[in-house]
Order: sequence, then structure tokens, then C-alpha cells
Amino acid sequence: MSGVLTEADFEFELPTPRRQGPMPLSLRGVSKAWDKGRVPVLNRVDLDLDVGDKVRIAGRNGVGKTTLMRIAAGLIDPDRGEATVWGTSAVASPERYQRLVSFLPAGDRGLYARLSVRRQLDFWARIAMVPRREVRARVEEAIELFDLRELADRRVDRMSMGQRQRLRIAMTFMPHPDVLLLDEPLTSLDGEGAEILFAAIERVLDRGGALLWCSPAGERLEYEFDRTYMLDEGKLVRA
Amino acid sequence: MTAFGENLSAFYAVVRRDFHVFLSYRTRLVSQILTSIFSLTLFYYVSRLVRVEGFTTPDRYFGFVVVGIALVGVLYSCFAVSETIRQELVAGTFERLLLSPFGGVRGAVATMIFPLAYAFLMASVTLGLGVVIFGMELHWSTVPLALPALFLALLAFLPFGLFFCALTVATKQANIGASWVIALLSIVGGLYFPIALLPGWAQFAAEVQPFTPATELLRHLLVDAPMETSVGLGLVKIVVFAELLVPLALYALHRAIRLGQRRGTIIEY
Repeated sequence: MSGVLTEADFEFELPTPRRQGPMPLSLRGVSKAWDKGRVPVLNRVDLDLDVGDKVRIAGRNGVGKTTLMRIAAGLIDPDRGEATVWGTSAVASPERYQRLVSFLPAGDRGLYARLSVRRQLDFWARIAMVPRREVRARVEEAIELFDLRELADRRVDRMSMGQRQRLRIAMTFMPHPDVLLLDEPLTSLDGEGAEILFAAIERVLDRGGALLWCSPAGERLEYEFDRTYMLDEGKLVRA
Repeated sequence: MTAFGENLSAFYAVVRRDFHVFLSYRTRLVSQILTSIFSLTLFYYVSRLVRVEGFTTPDRYFGFVVVGIALVGVLYSCFAVSETIRQELVAGTFERLLLSPFGGVRGAVATMIFPLAYAFLMASVTLGLGVVIFGMELHWSTVPLALPALFLALLAFLPFGLFFCALTVATKQANIGASWVIALLSIVGGLYFPIALLPGWAQFAAEVQPFTPATELLRHLLVDAPMETSVGLGLVKIVVFAELLVPLALYALHRAIRLGQRRGTIIEY
């Protein structure tokens, strides 16, 4: 037998790294109380998102929707319970977890005021650990898909709120996440921006992703969800 | 693409971000050069006015203090990073780092690179101005060795910045006591005058932090100032301080972030 290895020796099936657990997103027994001894804002919340799921969480202001999204994003820890993506725990494997989820926080924060749109996207692509050879293409793709061409070289502090929101959304989609967590994504967006957002969501779902959307109760949405839950007194109730 | 390559790309992104933000403030470089010139002018005339024990000529003391001024700039940049982290907390961009695979700890370390590189540049400018405007004499044969020595010194200074970043993440306040610490280190580190002039207890404080050996070594290499100990011992001290303090500081920052995530206060500012 020759000691020389050929390409055939290396032909074996690699495990798919992303799909190891049962669900794209799973929240199990998640509880969070902001003050010791007070009623928890989240009380043993369970939620599973399957491949292609579009789920909305609604509720009154201050009811705990954003807290739930932050826990699902791995930004803060629950007091009890666990958030997992494909079986990966947000607390135990934060780096891997953050490669799988992408979170759009509510509001207009999280941008560098003095960087242009293109530099902002390039920065985010790199810290999102997009492979180096793909960074430029991903940036251009985001500029194209989110209609940012005219704004590409404009500094963020010289943009309108709606334009900033479009950039924030572009940043959220750029790493090609498995799980999208969108907290009040329509804030400041015009109709055209909303259409672009819905199209981008569909592309993620077509790739086998899942969506968790959060917005206040009563918000009129021209978008169909598979399930809608109301968050009330720390519990999720199917609407 | 290796994890190393991805990390390198992320570090590069942070440095480039800081560079572009710096460039967007067009007058910053000019104002800092002017500040250096004012400091040098002040100490040039102080060196002419007073006779400092241990210095044979006013020029020897001026050379001594110019290296000190250059290092104070480096010291300030280490501590100023905590202010940057505070601004990132307010702007929500630190949250972005936490929501990335790169994470908060690596993000904070990367955030220190540009300010330290810039401080290094400004230290060189200060020395250059000392030479060109005030006729300071550099010991040219050992000047190239100052480069690796300064790099080691930066490694030993870095943990102080990281400790203050951890404090900022935990308390949401930047520079709590930083100006005191800088002033104290300037005194016990012998940045403006020899530590031999200090009382005994202060001389002990001079021995238990990395600024004294770093300053002493750099002065020796740049202006041929005599060393209390050997060059080798000075180097060993700096390396030991760096090796002890860097992991401790990284751990402190990691714990501060995790504590904030557990309590939910990481999103506060």
C-alpha cells in the first residue's frame, strides 16, 4: 500500500455544525425578576421555534417582552431556565450562540455616529466573524438588499431615524443568522423599508431559519405570523 | 478561514473603527501636539530655573523629564479607554460587541490598541519635539532598543486600563479615581523627578508597580540616564508584572461582564 494520500482519502461527510439540537430556538422555564422578592417579569416561560417558524410576542409596554428577547439573544441571563439555539446554550457557549442568532434591539442605539454606513457594516461583519474573504461581498449585499446605496458613504449622525433603522436592520441580517430576534423592528421605518424587511425575513426562513418578533399589543402589522403570543404577568399565552 | 484569521479580522475592524473616528475629529492631532509643546516649554524653563540633585546639567534633567512626559501620555491612554467603554455603554455599541461572537472582553482589549498605538506615536512626537525645538540629546545607539522595551512596557501598563474597564462595566462610571491613580503613579513611578527624592514608604510603592522599571529602562535607552539596577533586572520586572497582571485584568473584565449579564445590569448605563 502506497503511503501517499489522495483526495479520496479525505472524502467523508462532515457533521453540519449548526444543526445539532432539536430546535432553532428553545426557551425552557425562563424566569427573571428585576428585584428580589418582587413578582418576576418572566415566570417559567417555555417557547420553541421550529425551522421556518414566524412567531410574534405582543403585550403591553413594560410587560417583559424586551427582557425575554434579551435573554433569547444571550445578552442577559435568566434567573432560572435556559435559552438554547440548536442545543447550544447562550451562557455555556456564548461565542457559538452569537454565531447562530442575530438580535435587533429596540430603539436607535448601537451605531457609531461618526462612521459611514459602509464602514459600520464592514465593522459589524468582522466582529460577527464573517469569513474574511466574504466580508466585502456581504457588505455590498447588505447595501444592495436594504437599499442603502445612496447612503453608503454618509455618516450615521447625518442620517434620519428611518435611515438609521434600515442600517440597523441590514447589520442584523448580514451575518446570515439561523434565528432572527427582532424587537420592534418597524420603528421609524417607512412602507418601503417595511417591505424590504419582510423580504429579508422570508429569505432567512427559506434558508431554514426562524423568526421571533416582538412588538407592542395593538400594533397593526401587514405581516402574517404562524403564532402570536401575549405576554402577561410573566406568562406567554397563545393569542 | 481559521478562528485566528477571524479574530485578527475582528481586531483589525476595531482598530480601523477607532482610526476613522479619530480622523473625523480633525483638530485633535494639532491640539495634542500643541499640548506637548506647552509641556515641553514649561519643563524646559523649569530645568533652567531649579537645580535638581543628581543631575549634572539642566539638559540632563530636561531629557529625564521629557521621557516622563512621553510616558505619562501612554499612561493616560491606558486609563482613558475606560471612558471609551463608558461611551460605548451609553451609545449601545458595547451591547453590539456582546451580541457578537467577538464578545465584550476581546472587544475591550481591541479597543485599547488604537489609543495605545496613538499614545506611542505621540510619545515619539514629544521626544522629536524635544530634540528639534529644545535641542535635547538622544542616545542614538540605544534608541532602537527602546521600541521593544516600550512594547513590553505597554503590556505591563495594559492591565491597569483593563481593570478600569472592568470597573466601568460594573459601576457604569468611568475613571473612578483614575486621575488619582495616574497622579500617584506619576509620582511613585518617577515620571517627573527621581524617586530617590521620595520618602522611604513612597520608594517602596515605586518598587511594586511596573511604571518605575519601565520608565527607568526607557530613560536609560533614550537619554542614557543611569539605572538603579541592571537592564536585565529591569526587563525581568516588566515581564513579570505583565505576566501576572494581564491574566488577572482579563479575568476581572470577564467577571464584570458576566456579573452584569447575570444581574441584567449590562444593558444599563
